Amino acid sequence: MITQMQVKGLMFDPYNNAYIVVLRDEEHSDMLPIWVGKSEAGAISMSLENVTPPRPMTHDFMKSLLDAYNAKVISVVITDLSEHTYFAKIHLTYEDSEYTVDARPSDAIALALRCNAPVFANDSVITKQSSEELEQWLENLKPDDFGKLDS
Amino acid sequence: MSTVEQPKEQDLIEYRVDRILEEPNTDTRIVVLARQDDALDTLPIWVGAAEGNAIKLALDTTITPRPMSHDLIKSFAEHLNITIQRVVIADVKSSTYYAMVHVASKGVERTIDARPSDAISLALRTHCPIYITRDVLKRRSTTNLDAWLAKLESKDIGTPEAQET
Repeated sequence: MITQMQVKGLMFDPYNNAYIVVLRDEEHSDMLPIWVGKSEAGAISMSLENVTPPRPMTHDFMKSLLDAYNAKVISVVITDLSEHTYFAKIHLTYEDSEYTVDARPSDAIALALRCNAPVFANDSVITKQSSEELEQWLENLKPDDFGKLDS
Repeated sequence: MSTVEQPKEQDLIEYRVDRILEEPNTDTRIVVLARQDDALDTLPIWVGAAEGNAIKLALDTTITPRPMSHDLIKSFAEHLNITIQRVVIADVKSSTYYAMVHVASKGVERTIDARPSDAISLALRTHCPIYITRDVLKRRSTTNLDAWLAKLESKDIGTPEAQET
C-alpha cells in the first residue's frame, strides 16, 4: 500500500547539521521526515517557495531534459528505508511506455515539485518511522520551525 | 530551450576538466578547464561547493552508495535512449558562463540551457566532450590566469570574479 504525501516544509536539524523534509499524509495522521543535505534542501526549498533562480538549477535542468522529449513524471514513491537511507522511485511515461527510475528521495521530491507530480510513500516506510523517539523529537519542534510553508 | 545562437563546429574548441580547486574563504570551487590539445591554455569557472563536489565525484570516478543528482539525469537519458552528445560553454555575460547541453534521441536533436557546473558534471558522467566557443574564449578575462591560479593554489586566496549564479 502507498499513501499520498504532501511536502509540508523543511526544517533545520541542528543536531545533525542537516535538513529535514517533512512529508505528511492528507489527513495529517502520518508524518515522514527525510533527512537531506544542504544543497538538496535548497533544491526543494526553491520549489516550495516558487523561487525562480536566474539560471536553471540542477533539477530545473533535469526537468528541461524530460520536457524536451515530452517525458512526463507521473509520480514519485518513497519506497524503502534501510540503514537510514531512503530509496525512491520516479515513475515516468515516455512514448506510450512507462519507466521506473531509482533515485534518492531528495532528487525525487525536488523533481516532483517542479513537475507537479504527486509524492507517495510506501506504508512500510511510514510505519518504520513511527518510533517513540522520533515522535517525541517532532513534538518538541515548534510550529515556527516549519516556516511559512506549513499551511 | 535555447536563448543562445548555435555556434558553428569550427568555432568550438575542446576542453577537458583538469582539476577542481577549493576556495575555502568563500566556500566555492574553481573548475579548471584545460584545452585538450594545449594543457597550458586553461579557463577557470567558479561554481558553488555542492556543484564543485558533484564534478569532483565524477572526476575521481567515485561510486556513491546512492545515485547523485547527475547520476539520475544520466539514468533518465539511458532509460529514454537520449544521447548526451556534447556540452558547449556558449556564452559569458557579466562574468557568468552559460552552457548548452546538446542531446539527441532517434535523430531528434535538442539543446538545453544549463549552468556550466551541471553541464560539466553530466559530461564527465556520460563521457561526452566539452567545448568552449571561440567567442567565449575571446571574451574571457585577459589577466594572466596561469600565474594567478598558481598563486591561488599555493596560498588559497582570491576573489571570485566569474561566480556562477
